[in-house]
Amino acid sequence: MTHMPLSLKTLPNRRDEAWKWSDVSRAVSNDVQGADTSAPVQIFVPEGVTVTRTDAAATAANDTSLVKLASQYAGQVWNIVVPDGFSSENPIQIEGLTNGHAQISLSLGKGASVQLVEHYDGQAGAFVNSHLNVKLAEDALLDRVIVQTDPDDCVRISTTHVTAWAKSELRQHTLAFGGKLSRLETRMAGMGEGVKATINGAYLLDGARHCDMTSYIDLACPDGHIRQSVKGVTADKSRGVFQGKFHVRRPAQHTDARMRHDCIMLSDTSEIRSKPELEIYADDVVCEHGNTIGALDESALFYMRQRGIPLAQARAMLTEAFLASVFDTLEDEVMRESLLEKLRAWLEATV
Amino acid sequence: MLKINNLHVAVDDGQKPILTGLSLEVPKGEVHAIMGPNGAGKSTLSYVLTGRDGYDVTDGTVTLDGKDLLDMEPEERAAAGVFLSFQYPLEIPGVPTMTFLKTALNAQRKARGEEEMKAPEFLKKARALAKELKMKPEMLKRPLNVGFSGGEKKRMEIFQMMMLEPNFIVMDETDSGLDVDALRIVADGVNKLRSPDRGMLIITHYQRLLDYIVPDRVHVLAKGGIAASGDAEFAKKLENEGYDAYAA
Ligand SMILES: Nc1ncnc2c1ncn2[C@@H]1O[C@H](COP(=O)(O)OP(=O)(O)OP(=O)(O)O)[C@@H](O)[C@H]1O
Ligand SMILES: [Mg+2]
Repeated sequence: MTHMPLSLKTLPNRRDEAWKWSDVSRAVSNDVQGADTSAPVQIFVPEGVTVTRTDAAATAANDTSLVKLASQYAGQVWNIVVPDGFSSENPIQIEGLTNGHAQISLSLGKGASVQLVEHYDGQAGAFVNSHLNVKLAEDALLDRVIVQTDPDDCVRISTTHVTAWAKSELRQHTLAFGGKLSRLETRMAGMGEGVKATINGAYLLDGARHCDMTSYIDLACPDGHIRQSVKGVTADKSRGVFQGKFHVRRPAQHTDARMRHDCIMLSDTSEIRSKPELEIYADDVVCEHGNTIGALDESALFYMRQRGIPLAQARAMLTEAFLASVFDTLEDEVMRESLLEKLRAWLEATV
Repeated sequence: MLKINNLHVAVDDGQKPILTGLSLEVPKGEVHAIMGPNGAGKSTLSYVLTGRDGYDVTDGTVTLDGKDLLDMEPEERAAAGVFLSFQYPLEIPGVPTMTFLKTALNAQRKARGEEEMKAPEFLKKARALAKELKMKPEMLKRPLNVGFSGGEKKRMEIFQMMMLEPNFIVMDETDSGLDVDALRIVADGVNKLRSPDRGMLIITHYQRLLDYIVPDRVHVLAKGGIAASGDAEFAKKLENEGYDAYAA
């Protein structure tokens, strides 16, 4: 294994189209903690799920530069294997990931069903770069929840590749509070018929935080069903980035794919950058995307105040109502309530 | 007692004067009606009383029971007991009606230094009232006013009013868009709230409402102020003769 110092030249910068709004190179200094070390990783699994460690796999030429860096510096790959037909009340939990690079692979066998909860809470001033490689065999269901609560000087890149075989399903709900720079990227390849995915997320940003939610859904087979709703609120001088792409290949007939990004700016000094994209080669499909950026409705706020609700509380209530809908599809009520609690705490402190 | 003295109000960043010296007193226990042509400034008056942004008071005073209303935030006025039934009630997406109303009620109570109303008591009161106003119970679970018909929204205003038990009520065309049955239900509700320590200002275009809610005084708002006043009979005369006599 080679341990070269992390070269800032290899980090993406704004001249790379896919990173034009998230300049990692500028956010990271050479001596940042975690630049050339492997990340601490803790994985908790329900009985029946196995975890092993193997040497880093060779990376594919078309991997992103950060995925290549992850394989170079992570040292080993954590392999989580969920057997065929598995199901459990208990989730797989991934913790740690406080600084450095990590590579994790998660494989769900045929008909397996499991919840995966990832908590990203990095160290102050650290750089964290993790790559999760997911395989969903036929009829597998992954219910994934990501909670990102990094400090405001932490740089985090989390890249996920999902390979989904026939009739498998990904349900993903993300609650993110950004960082110095954070990019949560989901890249999914639909490789079998009838793949389903719900890819929802909310970002809440204050101060000078930056959060980037990027996704690329590549469908190669018929009858895919994709629902994506990302919502954000930006306060102070924060910056929200959404990039979403559906790539529907010629054989992917009867694809039903919908993408939305809706954002509320709580300050004039915050920024939103958004790029929803559809690239469609199949002719019998329903694909849509929508994108709105707005402010809280002044008339509604006045109405609420007229009824006695103080301005700050009225703003928080309207913002919560706006954001909360992305978690309506989260079936685990306890988890949903815990995400809403975090969201409310942020609103109380910020709005 | 609500006391409005020489009120001047302008909109459009103070460029467009709407009220130009309006004076009016509504003593406790009385119901006053305000009629007048479209665009005269009736809704403007309701917004100034409740503190909406964009309505600049350039002169005059407004007090409720001696307290300067103009100096208070909208939510402070609400806690002081001012309630507006909106001409066009707003939709509040994602906030269930009951959550909204309980938050409002308890925010008012907190501002007044009173104890919060607990959930069971609140629910009991709300259910009984919904029944009285012949409202479908599922309306209370839906986000406030979202997808409600015009008449349902007006009924919801009355529901909120009766839950909050304000001590000064402004109703801006609450009767518009109501069918006869709803009008009667709403009027019954309002009449129940009539009391020696509550004042009401009812803005309407129709004498019909005033058959159910008989006012102590009727005023014409025109040319930026109160152009004429009379008793309940005066409303009938206005309906027959129109406002030509008071127009600019
Ligand atoms: N926010 C505003 N900005 C600009 N003009 C306004 C605003 N609000 C009211 N106006 C104008 O002020 C005038 C009075 O409006 P208002 O709504 O108070 O009338 P009204 O008496 O309630 O009429 P109606 O009987 O039609 O309800 C109108 O000419 C209206 O266009
Ligand atoms: Mg009006």
